[in-house]
Amino acid sequence: MKISGTSQLSADREAVWRALNDPAVLVRAIPGCSRLESIGDDAYKMTVAAGVGAIKGVYDGEVRLHDQQEPGSFRMHAQGAGAPGTIGAGVLVTLEAVAEGGTELTYDADATVGGMIGGVGQRMLTGVSKKMAAEFFGNVDALLSGSGLVGVPDEGSAPGGAVYTAPAAAPPSHPTGFVMGVAVGAVAALAGALVGGWLSRRRT
Amino acid sequence: MTTKMFGQPIRRTEDPRLVTGNGRYLDDLGHDALEVAFVRSPHAHARLTDIDVTGALDVEGLVAIYTHEDLEAEDIAGMAEPLPMLIPHPTLTHGRTQCALARTEVNYVGEAIAMVVATDRYIAEDAAERISVVYELLPAVVGVEAARAAEHLVHDDVPGNVAARMVQQTGDADAAVDGAPHSLGLDLAIERSASMPMEGKGVLAKWDSDDSSLLVHTSTQTSTSVRQAIAAKLGLPVDRVEVVTPDVGGGFGVKIMHPWPEEVLVPWAAIRLGRPVKWTEDRREHFVSSAHERGQLHQVRVGYDDEGHLLGLSVRFWHDNGAYTPYGLIVPIITSTQLLGPYKPGVYRVEFASLYTNTVIVTPYRGAGRPQGCFVMERVMDAIAADLGLDRTLVRERNFIQPGEMPYEQGLVFQDGRQLTYDSGDFPASLAKLKTLVGWDDFPAFREQAQAEGRTVGIGLACYVEGTGVGPYEGGHIRVENDGTVVVSTGLTSQGQGHQTMLAQIVADELGMPMDRIRVTTGDTRRFKYAVGTFASRTAVMSGSAMALTARKVREKALRIAADALEASVDDLEIVDGQVRIKGAPASRIDMGTVAVLSNPLRYAFDEAARRATQFAPAADPTKPPVAAGDAPGLEATDFYSPTQSTFANGMHAVVVEIDRDTCDIKILRYCVVHDCGTIINPMIVEGQIHGGVAQGVGGALYERMEYAEDGQLLNASFMDFLMPYASEVPTVEIDHLQTPSPLNPLGVKGAGEAGVIPGSAAIASAIEDALGLTIRRMPISPSELFHLRLTSAESAGPVETLRKVRS
Repeated sequence: MKISGTSQLSADREAVWRALNDPAVLVRAIPGCSRLESIGDDAYKMTVAAGVGAIKGVYDGEVRLHDQQEPGSFRMHAQGAGAPGTIGAGVLVTLEAVAEGGTELTYDADATVGGMIGGVGQRMLTGVSKKMAAEFFGNVDALLSGSGLVGVPDEGSAPGGAVYTAPAAAPPSHPTGFVMGVAVGAVAALAGALVGGWLSRRRT
Repeated sequence: MTTKMFGQPIRRTEDPRLVTGNGRYLDDLGHDALEVAFVRSPHAHARLTDIDVTGALDVEGLVAIYTHEDLEAEDIAGMAEPLPMLIPHPTLTHGRTQCALARTEVNYVGEAIAMVVATDRYIAEDAAERISVVYELLPAVVGVEAARAAEHLVHDDVPGNVAARMVQQTGDADAAVDGAPHSLGLDLAIERSASMPMEGKGVLAKWDSDDSSLLVHTSTQTSTSVRQAIAAKLGLPVDRVEVVTPDVGGGFGVKIMHPWPEEVLVPWAAIRLGRPVKWTEDRREHFVSSAHERGQLHQVRVGYDDEGHLLGLSVRFWHDNGAYTPYGLIVPIITSTQLLGPYKPGVYRVEFASLYTNTVIVTPYRGAGRPQGCFVMERVMDAIAADLGLDRTLVRERNFIQPGEMPYEQGLVFQDGRQLTYDSGDFPASLAKLKTLVGWDDFPAFREQAQAEGRTVGIGLACYVEGTGVGPYEGGHIRVENDGTVVVSTGLTSQGQGHQTMLAQIVADELGMPMDRIRVTTGDTRRFKYAVGTFASRTAVMSGSAMALTARKVREKALRIAADALEASVDDLEIVDGQVRIKGAPASRIDMGTVAVLSNPLRYAFDEAARRATQFAPAADPTKPPVAAGDAPGLEATDFYSPTQSTFANGMHAVVVEIDRDTCDIKILRYCVVHDCGTIINPMIVEGQIHGGVAQGVGGALYERMEYAEDGQLLNASFMDFLMPYASEVPTVEIDHLQTPSPLNPLGVKGAGEAGVIPGSAAIASAIEDALGLTIRRMPISPSELFHLRLTSAESAGPVETLRKVRS
């Protein structure tokens, strides 16, 4: 399944790059993401709750980043599995500065969605994943322009990496997605992955 | 006078029970049973590197989790090994079957990896979700093209993904094509589909530890063979295993495949746990872990003379057999032989390769390779007609085998290992009937009128021949009870076709018994142990014939006993309405129940009727042994029918379609069928079978396909996305019958179960071509595909014009 799209962010390219590489931002911005853990250079483990229609579940996945061309582009590879199915995705993310200010973000993903969600939810996946991606970038933008929340690693981090969790308070995502139970896809894992990917480098 | 039942449109005796909700299907049974859910592969091709069940262990209600390791640990020789290669063939050089639970590798999305047993299905599913499997992904091979390219292999030890290559020929067909005055080449494709019975598969097993016996209920088309397979796989003596087929909500071929992994795993678990265990397939499981059919690519070369007579036909095709080949090469063998239909092909050569892909296995689905073959041959006929500017019916007529040429040898070996010899049929008569029924010669006027109204219509036809009643045998057992009840059993199974009614009609006539005294049981190995199964449109031919033969034996015995009792000659007796009576003196009579009593010499009178058979009763002749040498007590008999070859039914369909000029929506205006299944036992049942077949034919032509992504994910594995025709899409089927009796069996019958589906894609493609003046080379076709085909065809308007001229 091929999914691509663009998103306009108001912050400049460097700020977006930083945000996308800040796990504390990401864990808040990825729809359904409850946990991010660094498991090495440019590699993360994450937990994302997502669903398409009635097929909901929690996915555990890993994301690896590569080919980073700061601040212009990077690729990531994501692999996740949960009760409703599995997802594997390769994503290319490019950031371009827009002349009148802000950043245009383009993503190009090739995803394999397997298991129940692959056979039963397929019809809705592209729409769902695009919606999730839009939600994610919207969240990033909101974080950049607004509250400026900074994530703090949890106590009792797993050995080998810091763990970031979403705050108990609702993140600044718009509520429709999960509340209405429609929006999120296995591709949540994808969008998540896409996101999750970034996490990495900047975290010290 | 007893009304003759044979040939009458008797209402189905099973229907009152079924339509009032009193059917008993697999999932209606075993309320106390433990239930099973499976962990199935989400990947089309992967190596299993780890299975971790610990997350599932604390689920309350979990009873057991089994993986392949458990099958190995068990001291049963067969369980860990691959399932049987059911139908071996010398050309199936690289046959492969799967293990009941995957050992080290999975080869399609849906392959079973772990079996979870719990107190109910919900809990079993919850536990299954918590089992974590680690996969090492391998590249998936999906579709015929990828299989042929063999850039990746499904099975490491199967070079080129080729399970089998097979050639049959009657001479040098390519030379015949090359030497012909005209020739054409066509590439033709049919997509993958599946039969989708309303009821999926299901298995219930009960182990009786007191007498070490296993009772299995399964939604199958062959209980006798499942019994043998379970006994073999589980290492049980066959006489400790019984298999019963309850009511079955449709089979259409997918349930003739056996033993399914679940059919051996569920009994295996029941024995281990000492408790009844049940598994009921859900719809998604049916999509991804049962069987599909139909996916084939064909390349045809045909040579013909100026009048359209075939001189040479050379066909190559590639059959997608999915990940494994448990059912052998039956489907492509049928395509390669039945492709010929009612025609004389000149010199014929056919070659096929059966190819592995990382998809669900392929086994017969109603029609079983014939819809593809019919599509190929009928596209060829239409192409020749277009090329020569001849009427499409004329080209067919000129190539028909004539009635006087029966039996006709095609010079090939059929799916049953016997020569492909047509036993009967009158193809010119069938075509004449079809032309009349659909009004073929008046169609140009209708087209003109439609055009004047701004409508686009077309007419098409397709002909087929179908080998039915495949051997090796079926049998019947009939016993008349003391109360005159006739208890009838046959070993093959019923999936809703009306077998009870049809078999009772045969017995009623042969025995002179009223229908309401006859009770028919099918598919219960406790009642009848020797049978093959319900497939290849064989029940009426095989069990029907066996039942007639059996009834004749019972009748003979009844007359012999009654002749003694009535002090008359056997030749003077008749059986009418359950009474044996003297012809011309109907007052001298004895009812069949009494004959049954007298057939069983007794010492003990357990009821009033039995008194008549006891040793001091007047009937006893003290000078003879009570049971004569060579005789047996009881008014009963068993007999079998085993023909030398299949019997060949045939038919022709004509379709009128209307194509929406803006959207290319395809509407079927008329659907006409001329059907020859030999002597008809019950026209209502035959017509019902044709209706159902046509519905599936329409589905195959316009709606149904399995949408596999390149990575082997089945994208439309639900009834939301897999289109099937509803009543609103199934046309009214107009039927005319031609009855050319088969000389091969005592009833003159030929099979009728699959026929309706066979020419669907061919006939509808023909009609769409005719409506739009374009060429269709692959089916099914959706409105949007047709829309695009019309766009691309418009670019080459020349031939379209030619075609249009011919047709109008």
